[in-house]
Amino acid sequence: MVPVTFFLALAAILFCIGLYGVLTRRHLVIVLVCIELMLNSVNINLVAFSAIGPFANITGQVFTLFVITVAAAEAAVGLAILIALYRNRNSIDVIKHDLLRW
Amino acid sequence: MGLGAYYDNYILVLIFMLLGVALPVVSLTFGRFVRPKNPYAEKITTYESGIQPEGDAQVRYHVAYYIVALEFIIFDVETVFLIPWAVTLDQLGWVGLNLMLIFIAILALGLAYSWKKKVLEWN
Amino acid sequence: MTAFDANWSLMTPEIVLAALALLVFTIDFMTGIHGKKPFIGRLSVLSLLVTAVLVVVTNSTSGSIAEVFVVDPFAMVFKLIILIGVAMVILISMNFLDRERNAEVYQGEYYSIMLFAALGAMIMVSSADLITLFIGLEILSISSYVLAGFKKYSRPSTEAAIKYVVLGGTASAFILYGMSFLYGLTGSTSLLEIGQAIPMLFEEYTFVVMMSFLFMLAGFGFKISIVPFHMWAPDVYEGAPTPVTAFLSVVSKLAGFGIILRVFFLGFGGVYQEWAFIIAVIAAITMIAGNFIALTQTNVKRLMAYSGIAQAGYLLVPVATVVGDVGINMIVFYSVAYLMMTLGAFAVITLVTEDTGTSDLSSFAGLYQRAPYLAIAMTVFLVSLAGLPLTAGFIGKAYIFFGAVAGEMLWLAIIMIVTSVISFFYYFGFIKQMFMTDPRPNDKELAVPGSMQTVVTVSLAVTVILGILPGLVLDIFNTFNWMAFF
Repeated sequence: MVPVTFFLALAAILFCIGLYGVLTRRHLVIVLVCIELMLNSVNINLVAFSAIGPFANITGQVFTLFVITVAAAEAAVGLAILIALYRNRNSIDVIKHDLLRW
Repeated sequence: MGLGAYYDNYILVLIFMLLGVALPVVSLTFGRFVRPKNPYAEKITTYESGIQPEGDAQVRYHVAYYIVALEFIIFDVETVFLIPWAVTLDQLGWVGLNLMLIFIAILALGLAYSWKKKVLEWN
Repeated sequence: MTAFDANWSLMTPEIVLAALALLVFTIDFMTGIHGKKPFIGRLSVLSLLVTAVLVVVTNSTSGSIAEVFVVDPFAMVFKLIILIGVAMVILISMNFLDRERNAEVYQGEYYSIMLFAALGAMIMVSSADLITLFIGLEILSISSYVLAGFKKYSRPSTEAAIKYVVLGGTASAFILYGMSFLYGLTGSTSLLEIGQAIPMLFEEYTFVVMMSFLFMLAGFGFKISIVPFHMWAPDVYEGAPTPVTAFLSVVSKLAGFGIILRVFFLGFGGVYQEWAFIIAVIAAITMIAGNFIALTQTNVKRLMAYSGIAQAGYLLVPVATVVGDVGINMIVFYSVAYLMMTLGAFAVITLVTEDTGTSDLSSFAGLYQRAPYLAIAMTVFLVSLAGLPLTAGFIGKAYIFFGAVAGEMLWLAIIMIVTSVISFFYYFGFIKQMFMTDPRPNDKELAVPGSMQTVVTVSLAVTVILGILPGLVLDIFNTFNWMAFF
């Protein structure tokens, strides 16, 4: 059987890719996709623990369902704000959004 | 099984990662030396089911599409709760049924809201 | 006991608030989208007050629903703080939304989202389970994202919102990633079970437990804006509509503190010694960075953002130094003080910046000549924020200071005093503008509408009374067994 560590490693890699994307990508849609990637890496963690973890039980899958729905809501709000921003500025390039600065 | 072999297992992950990287790199590099190379105009055009490709691949979607997509995502994902509920309904009984009815009523309120705000109209 | 035959009446305030919020939401879209709707604002304030009464009535005895949703004095006091905070923010907003400049804001939606945010915060401080906690946190966060971008034709507002969504989503992912390891190691999402298992797990999997702790600290630290996770705060505070800034800096932050206490004391309480020092260092950095950067600010909202960061540092000190009920006493007392002085200050700031149309510090020029009552009230709030005697802020800070000394973290206590002294400079910058500068040529006398008058007077009264007679609430707090399930 595949040990749980494989799934944890996959999740860790996805989490890092997502974080890297959030920090470096300029296109806001991609940034939102990267956040989804991070949340889904958490789902992999939870489901892996739930199926073959040291204390396997169903709770992890319940948690995953909630994470999925919340992630969808967050993505929807993010995209809606993105549309508002696009209408205001005609661009969704991160670099151009520099009105607020220290 | 426990997490006892937690750290040891990473060596296997490492091997898998190396294999995963090596496989495409090796096969593509190898293929590059073996294959014949003869590009001509017709060959390097994009293949689109045999039909002449038209326009740019990066089309801009109409903004209304995004809003409908947002609506869809929300209502689509909320049904995630319906399946586990439906499977275990015989154990949940009337309480479970009522709880889900409340949940659906709240969703319906959201639908009524977007209807009223003319989100469902395409323009 | 299953969730079905549990004592659901414990959840009455939340259920009532949810129903009322949905009612406000329905009334709004049934009466047309546009236009001014002051009655919805009044209805929202009424809903919050009704809920606050219900909280006092139903939550005064401890209990829990399947150990997922717990009701204890800690939850009760934080719920009251949240409800009163949101009610005052709505009172500030009612005046803000009346102005011509903000006519584009959809009023009804604004109030219902505010109510949903309050609901999320209430669920959050009352949960002893990672799933409920996460749901509450996200209800609050997603509502806050929307609120930050509520002036949707204003570029700074939408820009603030998108920054908040991106960074907030990342913070949520961090929290969840930390939580997933806690679940994996214990097989449970209940904080009580996790708390029991942690000391043993720490022996075996030190690295994983600490990693989980740090991930959650990063995520929650973002929500309460502590250094080094504070970078979003000034930008979002500046861009968001001013009442929303007040909401973020008070309600959001205090609810975040509630959850930090719950998770860290309940879940990680067993290994307190291992992480207390990390929190102490972060508190020190937060106090230093927040106060020093605030010195350079000329924009009122950014200044308040950095001031809020510094205040979060003060609130973190007891987390690092005093474990148990006494520590929670300090945090809750300072939270009440912070709620009142910050909301009072924000009421004045909203009025002044909206009247002059700029959030530059110079908009406060000659406020004493334009509206003497406001100027004096603002002075009291600033003095309280700076921590000078006869104000609630002073008592709260002194209490925390003695706690730090008793907890043998003298260096932290000294940093607290030194940074407080530094904070006098930027708070007095305000006072100088108000009293020693002449009003700008076309600024006339400032009319104070009734709702604002209420907020300012209530905050002023509480700030002063708690400053003179802190025993009034401290005696009650001392009788509390804060977390009934410790």
